[in-house]
Amino acid sequence: MFTQFFGNYLLNKGLVSSAQLSRALSDQKNTRAKLGVLAINAGFMTAQQVDEVHAEQQRVDMRMGDLAVRMGYLTNEQVDMLLSQQGMAHLALGQTLIESGVMTNSEFADALNNYKAENSLTDIDFADKTGNKINEIIAHFYNFEGEPQKDLLTEYVTLLFKNIIRFIGDDFTPLSPEKIPSTRSSFSAIQKTEGAFVSTTIFDAAESAYISFASRYAGETLTDADEMADAANGEFLNLHNGLFTVNVSNERSQEIKLLPQEFQKGGTIQGPAYRIALVFPFGTVCFYIAV
Amino acid sequence: MTAESMKVLICDDSMFVRKKLAAVLKNCGVGEVIEASDGEQAVEMFKENKPDLTLMDIVMPKMTGVEALKAILSADPKAKVVMASSVGTQENLKEAINAGAFDFLQKPISDAQLEMLIKKITK
Repeated sequence: MFTQFFGNYLLNKGLVSSAQLSRALSDQKNTRAKLGVLAINAGFMTAQQVDEVHAEQQRVDMRMGDLAVRMGYLTNEQVDMLLSQQGMAHLALGQTLIESGVMTNSEFADALNNYKAENSLTDIDFADKTGNKINEIIAHFYNFEGEPQKDLLTEYVTLLFKNIIRFIGDDFTPLSPEKIPSTRSSFSAIQKTEGAFVSTTIFDAAESAYISFASRYAGETLTDADEMADAANGEFLNLHNGLFTVNVSNERSQEIKLLPQEFQKGGTIQGPAYRIALVFPFGTVCFYIAV
Repeated sequence: MTAESMKVLICDDSMFVRKKLAAVLKNCGVGEVIEASDGEQAVEMFKENKPDLTLMDIVMPKMTGVEALKAILSADPKAKVVMASSVGTQENLKEAINAGAFDFLQKPISDAQLEMLIKKITK
């Protein structure tokens, strides 16, 4: 899940455009981080040293790892260790951006190191499956400070990210959150919650993104923003809210009640509400939470 | 009872869920699948069709799944009603089982879960 926030960081720093990032997130599925990116990430090599080895590779027919060992930049043990980290998604994103010419090794190295420093991240955190660090990043990114239900809101958004990755896909970038006054809706699925978490939760998107999101969840190609698209998007919201309700009940012994979903087109979203906007290759979708 | 001779009533306000569940049931060889989109309609359809199994969502308009479960069981105490909901909290589970639900499936429901349920009933 770090990949999505690292993507947002690159976007906010103006290092990539939204279109470049969307394309890279789609392409990264077929990309594995290569040794240069892995060595930069681990701090074993500088971007300049990686560039040197790449230049040398033009002359000598040797694999990057063997050449880096021969040039004295890496040991064989380091090469083995690095290759075991190829699965890290944020590095695959970096590799994709470098290979498509959006960033150089050096720009990627600076961005990654600054991102790690700003968020006090280590490689152990990136590999951490307990999710403690990602919860911290989400809590920091979506600053619910001052909200009476701050902790529940953070848990809600954390689970939302996990469910989007699980049921829709990981090729999105979160935009910086906003607390907005009332606003116009496009195509919306709405579900209210009562009890321990009183809220109105809304999934909203322009027509084509609404259809695409529904298609991904349904696992089939939908062509219209019709009853089937409503039903699929409404069910995603209901499923997410249901799983949140189960977590809150199990972990806090607090009960939340869900109301049936409603749908609207071109109505009003009552503020103030938090807007969680996500940019997918097919367009931007928004989740609103009014508490 | 064989799967081919089975009649299953799916009750869910989401057309998407009804369509998905119906497709999986058909793949399991279930002979007849009928659908209701709210609790009230489910009770009516149950009385008319006497299905061998009813899959019941909980959060629905007009009448909740638990209310519909109670109404169905008062019409036929032997009815097999399986709750199928995203809200599988201990409280909902207890309420449904106490009200006489045959089983409780937490959404998202996998094809394998549904297949096992059909096997359990046709055994």
